[in-house]
Amino acid sequence: MSSSCHRSHLPTNRECYRAPRRLFFLSLTALLSFTSLTFLQHSPSPAHKEIFSDVTEQARIVWRHFSGESPDRFLIETMGGGVAFLDFDGDGFEDLFFVNGGETPHGKSSSPIRNALYRNLGNGEFEDVAAKAGVDRLAFYGMGVAAGDFDNDGFPDLYVTGFPSSALFHNNGDGSFADITDRAGVKDAGKWAASAAWFDFDRDGYLDLVVTNYAQFSFDDAKRCELHGTRTYCEQKAYAGMPLTLYHNNGDGTFTDVSEHSGLAGLVGRALGVIAVDVNDDGWTDLFVARDASPNLLLINQKDGTFRDAAIPAEVAYNSDGVAKAGMGVDAGDLNGDGKPDFVVTNFNDEYSSLFVSGPSLVFDDRTIASRLAEYTKPYVGWGIHFIDYDNDGHLDLLIANGHINQVIEATRLDVKYMEPPLLLRNNGKGVFQDMREQVGAVFQSGYRARGLAVGDFDNDGGLDAVFTRLDGKPVLLHNNVGQNHSWVGFELQGTRSNRDAIGAKITVEIGSRKLVRWITGGASYLSSHDKRVVVGTRDDSSTPINAEIRWPSGTLQRLARLERNRYHEIVEPSAN
Amino acid sequence: MHSAEGLALARAGNLQSAEAELRKAADLAPANEGCLVDLATVLAMEKKFDESTSYFRRALKINPHDVLARRYLGANLWQLHRYAEARQNLRILLNTNPNDPQALLLLGMVSENTGDYAAAAKMLASVPTLVRAQPESVAALARSYYHIGETEKARAWLDELQNHQAGIQAALLGAQVADEMQDYKTAEAFLSSVAPRYSDQNELRYRIALVKFHAQQFEESRQLLRELMDDGYRTGEVNRLLASCFRAQNRHEEAIHTLQEAIELNPLDETSYLDLASILLDQKRISQAMDLAQRMAKAFPHSSRVFVSKGSLELGANDFIDAVSSFTRAAQLEPNSPDATIGLARAEANAGMTERAKATLDSAIGRFPEKAPFELELGQVLLKEAETGDKNAAVRAEQLFHSAVAHDDKLAEAHYELGELALHRGETARALIHLEKAAKLVPSSAKTHFALSRVYRRLGREREAAEQAALFDKLGE
Repeated sequence: MSSSCHRSHLPTNRECYRAPRRLFFLSLTALLSFTSLTFLQHSPSPAHKEIFSDVTEQARIVWRHFSGESPDRFLIETMGGGVAFLDFDGDGFEDLFFVNGGETPHGKSSSPIRNALYRNLGNGEFEDVAAKAGVDRLAFYGMGVAAGDFDNDGFPDLYVTGFPSSALFHNNGDGSFADITDRAGVKDAGKWAASAAWFDFDRDGYLDLVVTNYAQFSFDDAKRCELHGTRTYCEQKAYAGMPLTLYHNNGDGTFTDVSEHSGLAGLVGRALGVIAVDVNDDGWTDLFVARDASPNLLLINQKDGTFRDAAIPAEVAYNSDGVAKAGMGVDAGDLNGDGKPDFVVTNFNDEYSSLFVSGPSLVFDDRTIASRLAEYTKPYVGWGIHFIDYDNDGHLDLLIANGHINQVIEATRLDVKYMEPPLLLRNNGKGVFQDMREQVGAVFQSGYRARGLAVGDFDNDGGLDAVFTRLDGKPVLLHNNVGQNHSWVGFELQGTRSNRDAIGAKITVEIGSRKLVRWITGGASYLSSHDKRVVVGTRDDSSTPINAEIRWPSGTLQRLARLERNRYHEIVEPSAN
Repeated sequence: MHSAEGLALARAGNLQSAEAELRKAADLAPANEGCLVDLATVLAMEKKFDESTSYFRRALKINPHDVLARRYLGANLWQLHRYAEARQNLRILLNTNPNDPQALLLLGMVSENTGDYAAAAKMLASVPTLVRAQPESVAALARSYYHIGETEKARAWLDELQNHQAGIQAALLGAQVADEMQDYKTAEAFLSSVAPRYSDQNELRYRIALVKFHAQQFEESRQLLRELMDDGYRTGEVNRLLASCFRAQNRHEEAIHTLQEAIELNPLDETSYLDLASILLDQKRISQAMDLAQRMAKAFPHSSRVFVSKGSLELGANDFIDAVSSFTRAAQLEPNSPDATIGLARAEANAGMTERAKATLDSAIGRFPEKAPFELELGQVLLKEAETGDKNAAVRAEQLFHSAVAHDDKLAEAHYELGELALHRGETARALIHLEKAAKLVPSSAKTHFALSRVYRRLGREREAAEQAALFDKLGE
C-alpha cells in the first residue's frame, strides 16, 4: 500500500510547536472517543434504531437563537440562523459555531445576545467556549457564517455575516480569535449579508471571499403588511435587491474589494445562498447563487478575474414559467454520475425545491418533478439543504431544513403549516428520491422553524451527521446511526500550492468500474458552513480496490491507489503531478 | 272558441288575457298544432321565451314543416343566446326555403353573435330591406363588415343609423358600434352630428369623453370630464371614467381619490366600489383593499359581483380560505356566473381543497355552455397534481387543454399550456406552434416569450431566442 501522505514542505516553526501538543491531544481524545463510542454503543436507547437521532441534549448544547421578533415584523427577524462545522482547535474533532441574531427596535432580549462556539470534547459532548475564544459578540445583527483558512496557517477562520456589516475573525491557533475585519477590509458595510463562501477564484493559493447581499433594509423603515388581518412579514419583493460582494485575498492578511472589476457588483438581486464549485470542469471554480424572487445566477469564472452569468442559457435562472423562485439555500453534487455538478435549490411552498441536473453544453435539465422532489417539498418553505450520502451506499441523498415565516398561514389554507418537519430524501440510485420520514427518526415527525443546516462527521465514524438551527430555539444536532452500514472512504485534503483547505478540489473515486465524483466546495446550504472532509460511500464491496484521483485547485493531479476503507485519509498536495 | 278569443285579445294588445285563453285552447286540444303555435307566439310577445320555446317545439313535433313555428323558434333561441340550437333550426328552414328573408336575417344575427362574420355579412347583406328596418340588425351588419376588414361598407351601413326612423337611439347605437370597433373618428363624428337634436348634452359629452378614452386620448377625455364636473354634472359614471383615465396614465393616487369621491357621491352604486377594489389590488394595497372588501360585503350583501370582487381581493392577499367563503357566496347568489365559479375553484385549489376544486370545475363543465375556461382551469389544477405524483392527472390535463382550444381557439393560456407540455416532452415543433399562437393572442405575456426563447434555443435559432428573451425581460420589468 503506498503512503497516502506526501509532505512537500517543512512544517513551520509554529506547526512544529503545536505538533507535539496536537499528538498529545489526539491520543487523549482518541482514548476519550473510544470511551465515548463504547458509551454510545452500550447506552440503551430506542433512538439507536433511527437513522438520525437528536443528540442535542446529550451533547449539552443549550444555546438558543434570538431573532428579535417584534410587532414591527422586520423581515430580518425571520431569516437568520447560520451554523458551521469546523475543527477550530485542530484536535481532529469537528466543533460547532452558531451565529445569533440580534435585537430589533421593539424586540429586546433580557440577556446579552451571544454566539456559541461549541468545542467537541470527543465524547459526544460539547462545551461552549465562545466567550473565551472572543467570538461570542457581534456589533451587528448576525446572519450566517463561512469557515475557511484564509491565511493557510492550518486553523480555520470565521467570516460572520449580518446587518449592517459583517466580521472576519482570525483564528490565532491557541483557542482564541481576533476580529480583524477593519484591517482586512471585509466589513461589507451598509449591507444585509446572508451566506458567504470561501473559494480561490484566481488560483493563487489563497482563499477569496464572496458574500451574498440580500436586500435594501433599514430598521427605520418598518414596512406594513398583513395576512388575514394580522400584521405579518412583507414578501421579499417589497425590498429591493443588492449586488454581490467579492473580496480578493491579497495574501497578506488584507483583501481588496473586486466586486466591480469582477462584474459581480452589476448583478443586483436578493441573493441568499451561494456555492463555489467548478461547474464546467475547466479547473477554475465557479459560483451558483440562489436568489429570492430574483433569477438565480450561474457565474462562470472567466479566468481573468471576471465572471459571466450563464444562468439563463443554462436554464437555471427561472422556473419553466419564467418566474424567479424564492431561492434560499443551494448545494451541488454529482447526482447522475456524469462527473459534473448538479444543483439543488430550496424555495417557498408551492414552488418546490429545484433540482437542476447537468446536461451537455452547460444546459441543465430541470428534474424537480421527475425526481419526486416536487412531490415532497411542495408544502414546505425550504432553507438549508445539503447532499448527504447518509447510508454510504454511494448515492447522494438530500437533507432539507424547513419552516414557514407567517404565523397565520394555517388560517389561510389547509395544506401548509407554520412549523415544518425537516426532510431526508433517499436517492434510489437513479436520481429519484424517496421520503424516509417513517424511518429516519422522531425529529423528522415534528415541526420546526428551521433555517441553517450544516453537515459534518462530529464523531469521525464515517457516518455524516448534521445540525440545523431554529428561530428563537435551540439547534438540533443529529447523529447518524446508519452510516456504518456500508463501508466508506474519507478524504481530508491539505493544500500546499493550493489553498490549504483545498476548496475547489475534485476527487474522483474509482471502485472497479464505478466512478464517484465529489468536490470540496465553498459555501453551500443556507448561511452555513460544513465539514471540509469528504466521505464517499462505497457500499459493501470490500474486495474491490479503491483508487482515487485528486485534481487540486492548483491544477496538480494526484493519483492514489488501494485506499483503505472506513477511515479518513489525510492527503497533502504534492509538489508536482 | 278559446283560440279565436285568444287571438282577438292578442291583436287588441291584451297579451295576459290572450295567454289565458290560448292556454285553455291548448289544454283542450293538445295535439292542435295551430293552438300551440298561437300560444307560443303570445308567450314570445310577453318575452316568456323559455316556455314559448317549449310550445313551438311541441308544435314542430306535430308538424315539422311549419315554417312559421320554425322561424319563431329560431328567433326565441336567438333571444335566449342558445345560438347553436338557433342555427340548427334556421338551417333546417333554409334547406327547404333557401330565400326565406326572415330566416336569413335571423341566421345572419346568430352568425354575427357567434363570430362567423363573413357568413353574417353575406346573409344580412342579402336582405337589406329587413336589415334596414331594425337598428340592431344594421349594427350587426356593420360590425360584421368591420370584422372582415370592409370598413367602408361598415361605415356606409352605420350611416343608415344617423337618421333612422328609430330616432336618436339608433344614432347613438351607431356611435357605440364604431367605438367598439375602434373606429373612433367615426364614433366621434356620429356623436357630434346628433348634438343639435339630443336633449341631454351632458350625457353626450360623457359619451364623447368615453370615445376619447377608448382612443387613448386620456388628456382630452379628462378635460371633457372636468368640464362636465365643473358644470355640475357629477355622477358616478363620470367619476369612474375620470378614474380610468388617471389609471391609464399611471396616476393611481388620483384614480383612487376620484373613485372614493364617486362612492361618496353615490354610496349605493356598487360599480364604483368594484373599480376601486380593482385598483387597490393592482397596486398591492392589500390592507386598504381588504377594508373595502368588508365594506362592500356589508353594503351589498346580495350582490354576486361584489362577492366575486371580495373573493378576488382575498385571493390576491393569499387569504385563500376566506376567498373560498366569498366565492361560495357569489355562486350561491348567481349560480350561472362563470366568474364566481372559476373564482371558487381557484380559491379551493389554492387553499389545499383540491378535490373540491376539481368537483366545482367538473360540474361547471357540465353546466355552462362556454366550457373552455373551465376546461382550462381544471387542466391547470390537474397539472399541479401531476407535478406531485399523479401521472394520470397529466394525461387528463392535456386532454382538457385540447378540448378547451377546440371550444375556443383564442384561449391563449390553453395554447401556452399545450406548448409547455410539448416542450417538456422534447416535441419542439409542436411546442412552437402552440406558443407562437399564444404569443399572437396575448403579446404581453412575459412567460410565453420566455417559453419561446427556450424553444428557439433548442432549435438552434439563437437570434430569435435572444429576441424572445429580450421581450421577456422588457415585459417582466
